Amino acid sequence: MNGSAILSTRGLTRHFGGFVANRDVSVSFPQGKLTAIIGPNGAGKSTFFNMICGGLKPTAGDILFEGKSLVGVKQHHFARIGISKSFQITNLFRDLSVLENVRVAVQAIHSCFDLWSSRTGHGEWADQAEALLCMVGLQERRRERADSLAHGEQRSLEIAVALASDPKLLLLDEPTAGMSPEETRGIMDLILKLLERRTIGLVEHKMKLVMGVSDNIIVLHHGELLAQGTPDEIRSNDEVKLVYLGKAQH
Amino acid sequence: MDLTVSLIAQQLVAGISLGSIYVLVGVGLSLIFGLLTIVNFAHGALFMTGAYVGTYVFMKTGNFWLCLLAVPLATGMIGLFAERLLIRPLYGRGIDYPLLLTFGLAYVLMDVVRMLFGVQGERFDTPDALQGAVDIGVGMFPLYRLVLIVFTAAVMLALWLFIEKTRYGLIIRAGARDAQVLRVLGIDVSRVWLAVFGMGSALAGLAGLLAAPMRGVSPEMGIPVLVEAFVITVVGGMGSLGGAIAAGLLLGIVVSMTTLFAPEMAELSMFALMALTLIARPQGLFGRKGLLS
Amino acid sequence: MSDQHSAFVRSVADRAARHPAAATILVLALFPLVFPFHTLAINILLFGLFAAGYNITFGYTGKLSFGHAAFFGGGAYGCGILIANYQVHWALAVVFGVALGGLIALLIGLLATRTRGIYFAMVTLALAQCVYFLFFHASSLTGGDNGLRGVNVPRVALGPISIDLLDPMVKYYFMLSLVGGAVWVLARILRSPFGAILEAIRENEARARACGVNIEATRLLSLVISGMVCALAGALNAINLSTVAIDSLSYHTSGLAMMLTLLGGMGTFFGPFVGSAVFLGIEHIVTGYTERWQLIVGIVFIVLVLYFPRGIWGSILQRAGK
Repeated sequence: MNGSAILSTRGLTRHFGGFVANRDVSVSFPQGKLTAIIGPNGAGKSTFFNMICGGLKPTAGDILFEGKSLVGVKQHHFARIGISKSFQITNLFRDLSVLENVRVAVQAIHSCFDLWSSRTGHGEWADQAEALLCMVGLQERRRERADSLAHGEQRSLEIAVALASDPKLLLLDEPTAGMSPEETRGIMDLILKLLERRTIGLVEHKMKLVMGVSDNIIVLHHGELLAQGTPDEIRSNDEVKLVYLGKAQH
Repeated sequence: MDLTVSLIAQQLVAGISLGSIYVLVGVGLSLIFGLLTIVNFAHGALFMTGAYVGTYVFMKTGNFWLCLLAVPLATGMIGLFAERLLIRPLYGRGIDYPLLLTFGLAYVLMDVVRMLFGVQGERFDTPDALQGAVDIGVGMFPLYRLVLIVFTAAVMLALWLFIEKTRYGLIIRAGARDAQVLRVLGIDVSRVWLAVFGMGSALAGLAGLLAAPMRGVSPEMGIPVLVEAFVITVVGGMGSLGGAIAAGLLLGIVVSMTTLFAPEMAELSMFALMALTLIARPQGLFGRKGLLS
Repeated sequence: MSDQHSAFVRSVADRAARHPAAATILVLALFPLVFPFHTLAINILLFGLFAAGYNITFGYTGKLSFGHAAFFGGGAYGCGILIANYQVHWALAVVFGVALGGLIALLIGLLATRTRGIYFAMVTLALAQCVYFLFFHASSLTGGDNGLRGVNVPRVALGPISIDLLDPMVKYYFMLSLVGGAVWVLARILRSPFGAILEAIRENEARARACGVNIEATRLLSLVISGMVCALAGALNAINLSTVAIDSLSYHTSGLAMMLTLLGGMGTFFGPFVGSAVFLGIEHIVTGYTERWQLIVGIVFIVLVLYFPRGIWGSILQRAGK
């Protein structure tokens, strides 16, 4: 593991009734690096992802973020602590404008209970939102309803909204799902650019994408950790080859 | 000392008989909610309608057993009509709309009953065969209430057998977990929902009929019942039939015992029970956590 | 319609949309000048406010509540008891009523917002019935079944000026000053950052939570605000009628709030007042002919839910948006 880990899990386990979705997963996300979480369908990626961004409570084990335990922390604190996520299925404020989607996400970190001042009075939130929209290339569409965007644009908006809280750790759940190769390239470029200031965790299906750009790879299988390491280490790992890479085309 | 023990025991049995009515009402509501995710605000009105249908049939035929058959059939059919014509168009529109609609339906049912039977309430005399009292060891107890307890237990047993042991029951259980499962299997989900709504309505009407000899009938008799049904569902756990049974009996006993010691607080005890549940165990006795997200 | 004419109408509509409070107050101020039944107008005004308060919870936060009568009645009794039993100054009594309504909303909210989804409706109904029960049995204070009498405020002194409330027109404008104030505060709140958060929650709760919004706390606060507005309506109604009926705490009153909001248009600013005007107007006419009032209400409810979920004003706005 290179560098100190901004987030690490220790023996993370999650049961759903009799079914064990994650068992004893101990991994780390090195600071400032891109970590990808991969594994076949049913490997437990979603469950794991949901636990580290506060959506699910672990049955056992611990999650440490910057040295402090996250278990028991309510989900709405995560954005304030510095962990932000994008959803696997696009989850935006559909009826609100593109700009408002990001603006309200920016505002939520600063002020939720101000009942008196005008929301437009705080120009700095709108400014930040505009800057984020520029970063994902949506500034032209700012006045349109989020609902009216094409699928790829909505995924980009998802990322902008996730960035609104200026997270130290950005967790993305299949951000390029359903995107064209061009759009995918655009998103990956954006992710690489974001790495300059943040740590990024990525759940992905597209193997080629992930092997090419990640610094650290976590392979899950049947809810357990199969392997963890650099792309080279993973590529040469026999077990992984057997289970996963063996079936993929290079 | 002996008197107090027997008094308490009698109140306990009274609580169970009261609880039997609650169980029938609560299970009906829970069935509908568990499968359709609809909170049936017309449940109390269906209870009342059942009591009135029973009054009418009993008046015409003098045969209580016929009432036991006719009433669930009648309110069940009202439920079927309501689901098919009024509620079905609302699926997919959000969970609030069927609730609002059944609220309006309750108003309609109450006024229709007023138009047909007048605004005054009436008595419902206990059928002759079930009159009188029986010595249950700790004192004399009304025969009717004992029969009520046994009858409710029989209905619950029949319901349990239906849901656990028959193919149709299996479909209902599967559908309660995930409606998608049914669609994948090629089963017409809408017919299942129709049937369940009918069953829940039938149970409500049956409860109303059985409660009539104890409470009399009036167009407003369903209103407190609705609140009671909600308390039972909260305490027992949404969508849990076992929970509805346990909570119904618990509520009956709590109210009955409170009546013994502090009659004015009897109604309040119901709300206290609900508040306690919400504070200590919000998902109810048998509810699943996160069932309602 | 000429181009100039339609352009003018559009610019007025635009102006109104950007200042909903001012537009609403203006319409309400002009209302008694065109509507001859002034006593009915006061009812429309006060129940419009009640519905506007309910709208915060239902229309803006998206939570269906069956317990708002507890806030309305709480405000009514709070204000009424102080005036009738303790001869407190009307302004203090109104403030107390509003505070009491807010407190009841806080207590009910603490229990009810622990529940999710559809539970909320059931729990609010049951808790409101509890409040009904408590007020009913405190009959030495509240008059129990007979209601509270003697909430007499014949004159209101504002410095040197004495306003005679026996004239319905005068009473209307006096009430309007307070209702208008509440409407203005509401508009302010909805335009604030808090209002933006409410919208976000209504649009997508999961997303809002992921962005750092404390959903439960926000819901609780909006319920308290809603409760205080409804309580104000109740307090003013107590002064208006000089009595408080126990029925103001019953679920009928909660249902009325729902009906008015649904009829007028949920989530719109002016809708509740439209709903109030239409509903109370129809009631005024229909009760002249039949006692089967609940039947009509029930049918209207069903028709609204099935075919006009946006309500009257909501449908107009939707049509105009096209």
